Amino acid sequence: MSALLDAQGLVKRYPKRGADEPLTAVDGVSFRVEAGEIVGLLGPNGAGKTTTIKMLCGLVRPDAGSVTIAGHDLGRQRAACLARITAVLEGNRNLYWRLTARENLLYFAGNRGRGGAATRREADALLERFGLAAKADALVNQLSRGMQQKLAIAVAMLAGTDIVLLDEPTLGLDVEAGYEVRALLREVAAAGRTVIVSTHDMPVVQDLCDRTVIVAEGRVVADERVESLLKLFETRAYAVTLADALSRDQEAELRASFPLLRPWSAGNGFDADLERGDDLYRLMSGLERVGAKVEALDRTTVDFEQVFRRLIKGEANGRDGGGARSVAVPTAAAPQLEEVRHAR
Amino acid sequence: MPVEVLRANVRKVIIEMLRYLPNTVSLVITFYVIFLGVFFGIKVVGDPATVEENVRYLIVSNAFWFLLILGISSMGWEVTAEATRGTLEQLYMSPLGAWRILLARMVGVVGANLLIMIAMIFVSMLTAGQWLNLAPVPLLLILAPMLVGITGLGYATAGLAIVYKQIQAFLQIVQFAFMGLAFVPLSAAPWLELAPLVKGIDMVRQVMVSGYGLADFGAADWLSLLLNSAVYFALGLTAYLACERRAMNRGLLGQY
Repeated sequence: MSALLDAQGLVKRYPKRGADEPLTAVDGVSFRVEAGEIVGLLGPNGAGKTTTIKMLCGLVRPDAGSVTIAGHDLGRQRAACLARITAVLEGNRNLYWRLTARENLLYFAGNRGRGGAATRREADALLERFGLAAKADALVNQLSRGMQQKLAIAVAMLAGTDIVLLDEPTLGLDVEAGYEVRALLREVAAAGRTVIVSTHDMPVVQDLCDRTVIVAEGRVVADERVESLLKLFETRAYAVTLADALSRDQEAELRASFPLLRPWSAGNGFDADLERGDDLYRLMSGLERVGAKVEALDRTTVDFEQVFRRLIKGEANGRDGGGARSVAVPTAAAPQLEEVRHAR
Repeated sequence: MPVEVLRANVRKVIIEMLRYLPNTVSLVITFYVIFLGVFFGIKVVGDPATVEENVRYLIVSNAFWFLLILGISSMGWEVTAEATRGTLEQLYMSPLGAWRILLARMVGVVGANLLIMIAMIFVSMLTAGQWLNLAPVPLLLILAPMLVGITGLGYATAGLAIVYKQIQAFLQIVQFAFMGLAFVPLSAAPWLELAPLVKGIDMVRQVMVSGYGLADFGAADWLSLLLNSAVYFALGLTAYLACERRAMNRGLLGQY
């Protein structure tokens, strides 16, 4: 079955003032999104997320590669593609502040060729559903930032497209407003839309996304189901509590076999990411060999933020190792990630 | 163009004009004050034998200067404002194409300003005590192609704003160029017939000031008017599409 959205080999370079070489913002990004999926697009600042999102919705023309939406090529069949995709790019900045909430909804719907009584009814239903009915006739500049964000998402919903792209939907919101927007995104997905969300907000990814595409330095470094990534790191992560702090010699000897040890600042223990199941036995033997006394051994709970940070860190490790196109997954995780990929 | 796009944009233009009423009113007052300045200048230092004709000439030229500035520059201002607000990219995600949305916006802007211009002509006539020949048929036949030309130049301005964003200084200077186009008589500089809209304004003046009718214009006049408008519309739209392409290639749509 063909994917609803298929991005293949996207490359974007921008001319850089005062430099001969252009700046490569996106360097061969490829991924596919099936209908009904919620995909998180993650990456550190400057990773190429926003440029990728803008290429997906036709605002930036790629230097190479293609975007296909429901079988239509975005470069050649722009109208057919844009009828199926919309985006909330800058949240509350996507709205006209001197128009009311309802006027904004109807204006943007009109620009997509929608109008009449049915659209007005749909707009009112959305205002109701998004908790904005009481503010329907208030100017946007009188709404709170959270309300503006919700309205921007409502505008995207009224567009009636199959795919909704969201760039940083919870950026700058307080905890409560962020929680409300997250609940709303769940509703968007429940309405059968395919959602691609670019965010730094890890709880959004962990709560909401089926799958995550992680980009760093313009390249995809991981494309996995969120639960697979969590499971992968969770099963390998242990916290070891010792009776006494390790001496320098003890730590050096252990690190020779287990480079991913992270000693605690308190000194009486460390976190360890293990490559294979039997590594745990080897670690215990190693501790016995160096004369360290184990007081407790716990499996560490991993949240998605930790997974993300380790994957991104892995990118740096890979480059240090001299690879021209570095593999983002940390050395220790790579074989297991491959297993997960094959199992899918 | 789908009627929903037209309706949505005309409605938006009217709503914003009313919500920014002090801005709209101050603009009209500025033009009226300029009219008064020149009007009293003519009365005081002008040749008494030609005062009446000069005043009528002034009324028409001043009104068209207003229309040129607001019709053409407004697209540049609109695009700049959209980029500043962050709404410009939303327009480019419409499957109907941003050029259609901008066209609908221009219909709204030019239409609203045309009404203001007509009101200004009446107020000016009342102030000066001079009555112009308001022959609707020839005026509409001349205005229609002129509006097409204005739209073309509006597109060109919008294109520049999409790529360069900060074109306010350019737009302010261009107002004086428009003043030249609106005020300089074609008889004094026949080569200006090639410049945008000058032929149309000259024909309007001949109708309103000199009382010309349809039969008084030759085929060459109409051909020149139509060609001028068509050429500037085509040039403007081509420039706009080239700017749009450049903006998308360089990722400039969302930048300000």
